[in-house]
Amino acid sequence: MSIAEYQQQLLESYNGSQDPKIQQSAFTANQYTEMFKTGQVTKDEYLQMMNDIILANNINRSVDNMQVLEHMNTAINGLINIANLVA
Amino acid sequence: MVQSTKIHIRQTKMKQILLSLAILTLSGCSVVNAYLMTHYDPNEYKAITDIRAEAQQFKDQCDDAVISQANAVKLAQDTRYFVLYSEHIPRNADMISASKDLQSIAQGLADQYTKAKVSTAFCKIKFTTVETSADRMQKVISGRPR
Repeated sequence: MSIAEYQQQLLESYNGSQDPKIQQSAFTANQYTEMFKTGQVTKDEYLQMMNDIILANNINRSVDNMQVLEHMNTAINGLINIANLVA
Repeated sequence: MVQSTKIHIRQTKMKQILLSLAILTLSGCSVVNAYLMTHYDPNEYKAITDIRAEAQQFKDQCDDAVISQANAVKLAQDTRYFVLYSEHIPRNADMISASKDLQSIAQGLADQYTKAKVSTAFCKIKFTTVETSADRMQKVISGRPR
């Protein structure tokens, strides 16, 4: 596949997803590719930037997991407090 | 006396029902993880705030390669410190994982300065990526139970 075809694939990911994080990643990847094509960044830099999108997504996933646990912790402690108030 | 004992039993049963409902509405393992989750640690919060503040400041200094290289090394060191600080906090797997990913992003910039001339655009993007990720991590640390 050519760069143009991969960029088309990114565009489809951007348009096809309702998830803002996926849209942001696709947009960023496309932006970095344009920067590489126009010589604003070197090949080494471009490769690292693209890899950073994956790392940033991993961080987002870990943060999302922690947020879910925090919401659950709040709910559990809230229920425990209500149960204690009944006594 | 008998009346008071009956009320006490009824209240205890009510408590048990509420707790059972809480547990039934959530999946078992997640409940334990959520209930026992790591609490707020001001030192961890300070470490991630420092990283975010540095990245925010350093991205504006990318035009000066000498200063920027020193900044990149400093940020790589501080993210390394954050990994080491988080590493042995119990029930902290997600933050350990996130801190290692953040360190990789920061280390990449410091390494790039030792290999070749670094473009201003790359420098700004790297610091911005660290800043954005550190912002999300800072928010989640601040939301931990106290």
